[in-house]
Amino acid sequence: MSDAVTLTLATQPTQTLVADCIAADRFAALGAQEIAALPVVHGGRPATLGAFFEVRGERASVVRITGDCRRVEAIGTGMAGGELVIDGSVGRDVGLAMSGGRIDVRGNAGANTGGAPAGAARGMTGGEIIVRGSVGDDAGARMRRGLLVVTGDGGQGTGKGMIAGTVVVFGKAGPGAGRFLKRGSIVALGEVERPATFGYACTYRPPHVALLLRYLRSRCRVEVAEGQISGRYERYSGDLAELGKGELLRWVGA
Amino acid sequence: MKINDVTIEDTFAEAFTMRVARLVITGRTLGWAREAAVKLTGFATSVIGCKCEAGVERELPDSETPDGRPGVSVLFLTMDKASLPEQLIVRVGQTVLTCPTTACFDGLPDAPDRLPVGKALRVFGDGFQASKVIGGKRYWRIPVMEGEFLIEETFGMLKGVGGGNFLILARDADAALAAAEAAVVAMTGAPGVILPFPGGVVRSGSKVGSKRYTNMIATTNDAFDPTLRAITPSQLPEGVNSVLEIVLDGIDGPSIEAAMRAGIRAACRPGVQTITAGNYGGKLGPHHFHLRKILG
Repeated sequence: MSDAVTLTLATQPTQTLVADCIAADRFAALGAQEIAALPVVHGGRPATLGAFFEVRGERASVVRITGDCRRVEAIGTGMAGGELVIDGSVGRDVGLAMSGGRIDVRGNAGANTGGAPAGAARGMTGGEIIVRGSVGDDAGARMRRGLLVVTGDGGQGTGKGMIAGTVVVFGKAGPGAGRFLKRGSIVALGEVERPATFGYACTYRPPHVALLLRYLRSRCRVEVAEGQISGRYERYSGDLAELGKGELLRWVGA
Repeated sequence: MKINDVTIEDTFAEAFTMRVARLVITGRTLGWAREAAVKLTGFATSVIGCKCEAGVERELPDSETPDGRPGVSVLFLTMDKASLPEQLIVRVGQTVLTCPTTACFDGLPDAPDRLPVGKALRVFGDGFQASKVIGGKRYWRIPVMEGEFLIEETFGMLKGVGGGNFLILARDADAALAAAEAAVVAMTGAPGVILPFPGGVVRSGSKVGSKRYTNMIATTNDAFDPTLRAITPSQLPEGVNSVLEIVLDGIDGPSIEAAMRAGIRAACRPGVQTITAGNYGGKLGPHHFHLRKILG
């Protein structure tokens, strides 16, 4: 048993590498050889994780991934616990349908981060994803529970069709953010385009946002300004074309 | 044993096992947090008549509260498991929920026994309430006219200790009061301890039952009443004309012992003749705080 399992990208994939076998809670029960033998899909063909990643450590629920993983997709799919740190940018579908634990991306993440598998009604149902960069389209789409934090910009349709949970975007939220939201919160600390089906409620200091941002600053080492913690937010209820119990909270200053 | 010429009697305070919860109430200012805490802990001096005992443990700076605002830590005790959530739900709902700017957090996060206080109060939101999970804890956001009231879903419950005490036997009422005030100052802010009575002091210590009225569960402690010295089996030494009691409740025995040590030492001042403690012969309460052992 090690403190952590480290995966180093040794062979750069020439095509898309679907590595949905990488999840911190699964690695807690696997030896190094078993981890290396896990199946991946490279350009539509079956392969093993060990053909691309050098594996160090075993039987740990803390996993660290290093190397340029922009072509690696679906890391952390269905993850239920543990901690997964990706040192750099990563491809689409990070934390797809995850239910617990934390994924920390120290770079950009692709489309559908924390989202739902194709055709599925629910995206992530728990856990936390911190992206210290920007995300692609549909990040947090159909989220049922959990937390997605994007320190950069969100793509188109961030938090689209959320059922519950929280998405925090520090940069520009992208067009269509929160469209078809049933419940849940989108906290926009930067620019955001409000869907027409959201109704203005009030401008206030939401106590849970202060608590959440303090948590992100102290526990997740996310840079948060004091004015964002204690500041005022415009609350828009929506999507009124859906259940309407969700909210878009737009920071308007201290 | 004597401290500053005050006799410390060779006796012990007898205390009971109670259930305890710790609430952290925050507000926009310390003043508002304090307002809520004072109302919450009002009429909570003794389980005999109030069904619970509560008090402010200490004031908390911004750096010690979950939401970074000034706050007040409150301890709440009842005799049994079932009545603690009942009391908390009613009292928090009427005093903290109603108080401007406040939020309410659990102060015993590691306690395995959980009381669903926020979960019960959420229905005040009439279906418009929403929950958030932050750092693994669930909070309820209850819409109110001011904005939102935030409360943690569950609060921890531990076995605590209620009824730690000592009695100040003094030459006159002024000396007894001055000694009691000094003791309270010394014990204020002691971690894990509250003094549930007004100003931390009791003038009407009681005995179990009654000599005359069968329906009374507690009546005046006539053995320590100076006005009854001539007509009851008095326990007052000669020269004592006034007695005040300090009652302490706490998270655990060591917390109460530490507070009693500080309080008794502070109470040993001119005009005080003896420090003693109330007990029932050791037959009722499992916690015995021996004065000389604590001060030794």
